[in-house]
Amino acid sequence: MKREQLYWDEVNEGDELPEITLDINVRRLFLQASGAQDWYPVHFDLAFARKAGHEDVFMNTGFVQAALVRLITDWMGDAGFLKRLAFEMRRQHRPGDTMVCRGKVTGKKDADGTALVFLEVWAENEREGIATPGEATVVLPRTPVAEG
Amino acid sequence: MPYDIEEVRRKYIGFVTAKARGRYPVEHDPIRRHCHMVEDNNPLFIDPGREGGAFCPPSGWLAHYFASLGPWPAVFEPLFPVVPTPGKRIVNMSQEVEWSARIRVGDHLSVVRRIADVFQKGITIDPEAVWIVAEAIITNQRDEEVCVIRNTLLTHRTPEEVAAANADA
Repeated sequence: MKREQLYWDEVNEGDELPEITLDINVRRLFLQASGAQDWYPVHFDLAFARKAGHEDVFMNTGFVQAALVRLITDWMGDAGFLKRLAFEMRRQHRPGDTMVCRGKVTGKKDADGTALVFLEVWAENEREGIATPGEATVVLPRTPVAEG
Repeated sequence: MPYDIEEVRRKYIGFVTAKARGRYPVEHDPIRRHCHMVEDNNPLFIDPGREGGAFCPPSGWLAHYFASLGPWPAVFEPLFPVVPTPGKRIVNMSQEVEWSARIRVGDHLSVVRRIADVFQKGITIDPEAVWIVAEAIITNQRDEEVCVIRNTLLTHRTPEEVAAANADA
C-alpha cells in the first residue's frame, strides 16, 4: 500500500507526529532479541540484570531506536530522509510498561535549498514519564508545482 | 594495580580500529525481524517486491549490525573489549546517528570504530564507573559514508564487585 507523502511546505512548528504505542511484555522481549540480535543478558535475564544492580530487565537501545525511527518514518513518508537522530536512554522501559513514542515539530528552515524540519521526539511510559528524550532532523520534499 | 584513568585516556582516546566488513550484505529478513519487533509495517522496508527495491530503516543499530555484528557463536561480554575498564557491565546511555545516504537491500557495509572520549564519573552503584564515547563510521561497498553513529557507553561493576573491592582496600 502506497503511503501518503508529507511535504515541507505543509509542515508547521508545533505539528504533532501521530503517536505509536507498544506494550512491553515477555513476547516483546523475544521480539527484541530476534529483531535487534542483542544477546546481552541484561535485556532478558532477570538474575543477570539484578546482579548488576537493576530492578528488572529493560529494553535495549536498538529496540527504542527502532520505535523512534518508525515514529519518524511513518510520519515523513517514503521521500523523506532522516538526517539525524539523537536520543538519551535516561530511564528504562520494562516488562509491564506501555511505551508510547511521540514527537512534534520544533522548527523548519531552508538550508541552501535543502528543506529541513527539526523534531523533538521521545519515548515515554506510565511508570517513568519521558524515559527516552531525543531530537531529529529530517529532509522533506517540497510540494510539486503543477505544470501548465 | 589501581585503575589509572589518565593512562587509559592517553592510550585510547583517538584509537581507531581496523575496518571490518559485514559478514553478509544487507538482507531482507533481518530488516523484517527488526521492523517486526516494533510493528513497523512500512512497505518501503519490508516489501521485497517493492518497485525500486527495499531500503534498510534508518536505524544506526541496524546499520551497525549489517556492518559488523551477527557473529556466531555470539559474543556476550565484554561488548566493547578495546578499552580496559574496572567493570564489565555495560549500559548504552545515548546514541546519535548522522545519515549521509540511504542503505538499500544488497548493499555491503563496513565499519571503522573510533574511541572519541573516555572519562570516569561515578554512579550510585559504582563510584568508579567509566564512560566511553565510541564512534562507528559506516560505509557501503562503494566506500561512501552512509552514517556515523556515536554511542555513550557506561561501564560499571556489579554491587558485589564494588563491595569486594571495598573489603580488599
